[in-house]
Amino acid sequence: MSAHDLAVASAAALVLAGAAGTALARSATRLVLSLGAFLLGVALCFLALGSPLLAAAQVFVYIGGVLVLVLFALMVVGRGDGESPRVESRHDPGAALVALGLFVVLAIVTPKRPSGIAPPEMVSPLAVADVLLGSGIVAFELAGVLLLAALLAVLVIVKSGGER
Amino acid sequence: MSFVWGLLYGTGAVILIAGGAVVGVWWERKVSARIQLRLGPQQLGPAGSLQMLADVPKLLFKEDVVPASADRLLFRYAPLAVFAPIAMSLAVIPFWAGWAPLDSAAGVLFFLAVPSISVLGILFSAWGSHNTLATLGGVRAAAQMVSYEVPRALAVLSVVVLGGSLQPSELMDAWRWWWIPVTLLGFGVYFIASIAEMNRGPFDLPEAESELVAGYFADYSGIRWAVFMMAEYGAMIASALFGAALFFGGFMWLPGVAGLAVHIGIAALIITAVMWVKWTFPRLRQDQLMTFCWTVLTPLALVQLVLAVVVALWL
Repeated sequence: MSAHDLAVASAAALVLAGAAGTALARSATRLVLSLGAFLLGVALCFLALGSPLLAAAQVFVYIGGVLVLVLFALMVVGRGDGESPRVESRHDPGAALVALGLFVVLAIVTPKRPSGIAPPEMVSPLAVADVLLGSGIVAFELAGVLLLAALLAVLVIVKSGGER
Repeated sequence: MSFVWGLLYGTGAVILIAGGAVVGVWWERKVSARIQLRLGPQQLGPAGSLQMLADVPKLLFKEDVVPASADRLLFRYAPLAVFAPIAMSLAVIPFWAGWAPLDSAAGVLFFLAVPSISVLGILFSAWGSHNTLATLGGVRAAAQMVSYEVPRALAVLSVVVLGGSLQPSELMDAWRWWWIPVTLLGFGVYFIASIAEMNRGPFDLPEAESELVAGYFADYSGIRWAVFMMAEYGAMIASALFGAALFFGGFMWLPGVAGLAVHIGIAALIITAVMWVKWTFPRLRQDQLMTFCWTVLTPLALVQLVLAVVVALWL
């Protein structure tokens, strides 16, 4: 087992531990802590797979931005009675089923490597920019539109929930 | 092998920050005393410079109090989550021509991204304390740090546009003296946004002692409180060293060790200016803080970015 394999394995272990913690945590704080470990693990995977730019962006956007917003919302909402927000929901079994299905699909489509993962070439930020603003610009912009649509959908759902 | 190097760099960063914090606290006492027409520490050693030898053991031996209602895990380890990312960010600062401890292809982004993990540590310490004042301070700190990251990153981006690289060593190779006037506005934005990121005066609303006691670290004492202080001074040291390199060329002025001395000298001047600002301006109000970030600092950073792009295209 080379040092690179060890790095990938420990990053993957952090991802798994974080994911398990996120799914099983009973308190909201532990949940966010686990989610943070999961996101950090994903960033470390990117780093181990040779893309420092993606790793830094992952930390910047997801840990420094999204996770802080999640924590922020948890702290501001539902502190009135001094209790932590509930993390159980009646949708949990359904969500577990969806997650299991997704796992099966990913397990089938992920290509299998014979043994270990070779240390890949470092992907330079310039190469990433070439793809994102060159050949991949349509997909890149479409992904942006998709995110915007998802954001609007969430707003609509939340608003209609308030009116019911 | 790289693991051993990482361990060495990590130890070096912690020693640098701890030493820097000790010297920094003494220097801050002297600077603030000058501004307030006092003398500051003067009894122990020349110009009171040995005062910290008495203060550090005091902090080490103070009782480590954990409030009964606190979430023990979060409360105990949150200070480390604040400190560690800041120590990590030192790794990508270029100290020598063609060399940085971690000369990553995305080094500049690393410097901006990794310290943002410490926001999480601050929120955890605030929540872990189970205390209204700490929670308020934590929420303030998070809002402030997330907001001021935007103009700070934009200001650094203007230098990246001129240099055409995110790699610290390449960026420093491309550095020319005439960048200073071109990016002066960017340095101003970087300087102000960095002070806000460190939660220092006049942006120290998260710890505002007259209303929130000490905000997110109100319940901390002894060594854990000292770790928060070290994180603050560490952020100051890292921001000053990084700013000295990117905006003022750092070691580029002279070859070898003399260049390193120039780099540290510029950083020391920036740190002194940070202290000067803290002891001169009164604390802002929360709404003023946010308005200033989004209506003054961010547009200025965008103007700087456009200027840098025009110059880079014109070259």
